[in-house]
Amino acid sequence: MNPTDSHPPDFEAECLRWLPDLARYARSLARDDDLADDLVQDTVLIAFKSWHQFIRGSESRGWLFTICRNRFYRVHGREARQVAADTPELETLAATALFAAASPQGLGDVFEQEEVVGAVGDAMAALPETYREVALLIDMHDHTYESAARILEIPVGTVRSRLFRARRLLQEQLLTHARDLGFGVARPSAESREGRP
Amino acid sequence: MMPMTDCDAVMRQFWDYLDGELNEATMAAIDAHVQMCSHCNPHIQFERAFKAALRSAREPVAELTPLRDRVRAALAAAGYEAP
Ligand SMILES: [Zn+2]
Repeated sequence: MNPTDSHPPDFEAECLRWLPDLARYARSLARDDDLADDLVQDTVLIAFKSWHQFIRGSESRGWLFTICRNRFYRVHGREARQVAADTPELETLAATALFAAASPQGLGDVFEQEEVVGAVGDAMAALPETYREVALLIDMHDHTYESAARILEIPVGTVRSRLFRARRLLQEQLLTHARDLGFGVARPSAESREGRP
Repeated sequence: MMPMTDCDAVMRQFWDYLDGELNEATMAAIDAHVQMCSHCNPHIQFERAFKAALRSAREPVAELTPLRDRVRAALAAAGYEAP
């Protein structure tokens, strides 16, 4: 290894190290395996050509995700839209209200039910793109708020608003699905909330 | 001194808390509160289960060998040389 070299010694190793993550991210963006593989290959080639721009010591996974996302939107002609964001605090309180309503209906453990967990993929796919891509990075790819903000090129405050909104929309949808499946209704709210342990 | 935490403070920050995005002192204060609060505890369990459900729905990645080979070949064609 030559620390004075501005290029890390092995581009290929660095890229291939993140290939599983990148492939998974591309699949969730493209939602088609062949398109996703093309997207991964394009991403790696673009990264290779701009390797000199990569700042050593910065996070290469985030950098690859950024390239992947930009490429996806360019190829598919989709504009990453800016939407007015509600305040994260309001979204957080709204999620609290969802729990407060679900809990006395016997839905307090609903996200541990296999049938409900199985519906997460569809609920995620139904989210508006703006919210979906934030949830994707943070809830499925374990990025921090900061890292997601860098990839999406938006402020951290916007990441929080969109993430919390995404989660509330997902919860609403999954709770509706659970009620449709009959969860909760068999145990009407006979006991008062105060009486619960 | 640990900052005082009440149910309202937990309610307002629970996502940041579950995402590990708060400073250490606040994380510890909320931890302590949630452990003993019969109101916040089930709520936090609920949200934790939700987050776990999302995590479990990650796209499965099938066999990566063909993609890895393909990427290697594309890199070689683009002029990449292993050090
Ligand atoms: Zn409490």
